[in-house]
Amino acid sequence: MKRHLVIIPALNEERFIGSVISAISKVNGSIDILVVNDGSKDKTADIAGEMGAMVISHTYNLGYGAALQTGFRFAVIRGYEYVVTMDADGQHDPASIPELFKHLSTTGADVIIGSRFSGGIYRMGFIRRIGAWIFAGVARAYTGYRFTDPTSGFQLLNLTAFSCLANEESYPLDYPDVNIILLLHKKRFKVVEAPVHMLSNVKSNTMHSGMKPFVYVIRMLLAITMILLRKED
Amino acid sequence: MPFSARLFILFVGIVFFLVVLELVRKKRFREELSIMWLFFALSIAASSFIDLIIDPLARILNISYPPAFAFMIISIVLIISLLYFSLVISDLKSRVKELTQKIALLEFESRSQRKNKE
Repeated sequence: MKRHLVIIPALNEERFIGSVISAISKVNGSIDILVVNDGSKDKTADIAGEMGAMVISHTYNLGYGAALQTGFRFAVIRGYEYVVTMDADGQHDPASIPELFKHLSTTGADVIIGSRFSGGIYRMGFIRRIGAWIFAGVARAYTGYRFTDPTSGFQLLNLTAFSCLANEESYPLDYPDVNIILLLHKKRFKVVEAPVHMLSNVKSNTMHSGMKPFVYVIRMLLAITMILLRKED
Repeated sequence: MPFSARLFILFVGIVFFLVVLELVRKKRFREELSIMWLFFALSIAASSFIDLIIDPLARILNISYPPAFAFMIISIVLIISLLYFSLVISDLKSRVKELTQKIALLEFESRSQRKNKE
């Protein structure tokens, strides 16, 4: 069995999932790919299976965070040593995966967050940009480390870090972003950032489109507050 | 309050109480959740005499319109009950998430084992 696993939470991503899996396989053939089909109504699971990825399907939509956590639990059960988390919409460039591993070995960190701002051209919505700026400030104040893209879902985690998140009762169903960075820091994990290339695109069916950015920013602020207020286990 | 109004409210409270009991008997309502509604039903029945308590209380609190005080108490009770049911829903959501994740993982393992046997 391979030691590394890419986890891709996917909801109705039949347009992109095939190309994402194919791009990952081209960059790194020695990495397993797990698609967590989060209650898709389209052919996401079929296409992912045909492309050679392992597919775990939730019977109905639980949320991006829950899908990631299912992936972490799978990785723990199967004994993987490292997991990379990527979005299914093709915005994360698999060519950056080796960069993440390089940073992991040079920094000795437990978690590497792929930052879009230092790696390439990427445009995000106004609300999300403001949210990212606020969350970066909070993360810096709490961890002392400057995160330029704390909301990035392109991450590399080692066994101890993803095992912790697999068992985290309060792991968010929907938005595991900067709140998870703070949670990991609170649990004494070393979290650092690395530049990655991201593709601005492609897709209108993002999990952060429409009115969702407003709700996203408010809920994230609440999640951050709760992490700061909760006593450590 | 006129005696006929008292009787009507008492009647509504008793009917409501019996309806809740019947739902529990038919197993359409879990006992632990029904307790709050039985309490509401009894409160409705008891409220047929609520003016005997509300009016003096409102006077003590300098509330010039006692029904407003009654509505305020009812609103607080309803908000607390909504909070309680939100807690129940939140707990159920966590449990459903756990179960869904476990089922998904078990399904995958079962599919993998079938494939290996083939």
